[in-house]
Amino acid sequence: MTYTILGRCARTGRLGIGIATFSITVGRYCYGVKAMTGVTVSQAFAHERNNQLALRLLAQGFSAGAVLQRLMGNDRHASYRQIGVIDRDGTAVAYSGPGTRGWSGHVVGENHVAFGNGLVGPEVAEAIAAGFLAEPAADLEHRLLCAIEAGRDAGGQGTRDRHKPERSAALRVYSHHPYADIDLRVDLHATAVEELRRVWTEYKKYETYYRDRERNPKGAIGQEAFMATLRAAEA
Amino acid sequence: MTFSIIARCPDTGRLGLGIATFSIGVGGRCEGVLAGVGICKTQAFTNRGNDPLAIELLRQGFGPAEVLRQLATNDPDHAYRQIGILDRDGNGVAHTGSGTRPWSGHKVGEGYVAFGNVLAGPQVIEAIARGFMADQQAPLELRLLAALEGGRDAGGQVGAHGRLPERSAAIRVVADPDYPEADVRVDLHDEAVAELRRVLEEFKRYETFYRERGLDPSTAITQDEFVARLEGRT
Repeated sequence: MTYTILGRCARTGRLGIGIATFSITVGRYCYGVKAMTGVTVSQAFAHERNNQLALRLLAQGFSAGAVLQRLMGNDRHASYRQIGVIDRDGTAVAYSGPGTRGWSGHVVGENHVAFGNGLVGPEVAEAIAAGFLAEPAADLEHRLLCAIEAGRDAGGQGTRDRHKPERSAALRVYSHHPYADIDLRVDLHATAVEELRRVWTEYKKYETYYRDRERNPKGAIGQEAFMATLRAAEA
Repeated sequence: MTFSIIARCPDTGRLGLGIATFSIGVGGRCEGVLAGVGICKTQAFTNRGNDPLAIELLRQGFGPAEVLRQLATNDPDHAYRQIGILDRDGNGVAHTGSGTRPWSGHKVGEGYVAFGNVLAGPQVIEAIARGFMADQQAPLELRLLAALEGGRDAGGQVGAHGRLPERSAAIRVVADPDYPEADVRVDLHDEAVAELRRVLEEFKRYETFYRERGLDPSTAITQDEFVARLEGRT
């Protein structure tokens, strides 16, 4: 029971993951993204080695489809996995094994995979894809977060008469660095997608400040002084 | 304004990092942890390139002291950084630059480095080390948490206008290069270290279930069933 968007920004080549689920600490399954290489998530009954194997194959030059084939060939329990892969060119593929539970499926398009299991129905995956495509000119992290929110608003996980809450969620985006541009998590919360939006909104206020003080420590003001300027601007 | 510990479990060789700070989302800036290789964490006025570079240098075979020297020569603002490095054998080094904000400092112990800046004083670092050494039989993630709690309880971060709360915190422990073991985060909270304990304790209840259902899905019970057992409903 999880719903996920993998996305690539056609404009910048940035790659990212948005994810929400009933399980706790889902962010620990979201290391399958690497700058200028690709993005992948294995979920449902997650094979924890899949993500790094997929990234190594993508780095070797295999296309998304070839990577998915190799992951499945390598795994005697492949039918229990749900896997999405996008390569650096934006080619996207997905697999939703028959052993995954509840309504399980995916919507695949250029530069995106919307997929999930244990969902209310196909409208959730469709809403995630539509949410991602709604603002193609916006920043990738914004589009990923909107996609996850659309999945939640379409019913998310569970059945039509019994919603299963999102207890954890995560958002990660890479551009061209060996570290993430955006990496935010909510690990255990009653409404994790709302909480992720709250964390994201607050983080965005600090994002430029955090980056600039790293690059120019000599000219940096203290964080308390920066917050005073934030408060003044909001007053 | 951050306090951290990087450490190696002498019994298992597992490597881990614990960190708490006033800044938001600190767990998203902790890339420098790799099983079988080592740990590097740069903080204060951080240099995001340092930690991935240090991991590459450790992987090439350089020792922590030489890695630190190479980071210094690569960074014109090295004096503003605070850096802790630990190799896979538990050998640690640290650098607290003169440009970091007071009180800042570090302690390099056997198998760990405790370090921080904008702290109440050296007692915070001592308390982190004591917290880490208190129960040497405990799993590394719990020792890291006890270290952070020790730092918090000794006064934690203090800026120009007094005590600064921990707004984000993270613990990451690795044994395998492909995926983390314990990996918990609190990105924005009024009491992030206390919240981190709540998340870690809950994670520990699920840890085996999550691992085993991935290894053999064909025999896995549903999470609903698992939660019911946890809550004593079945």
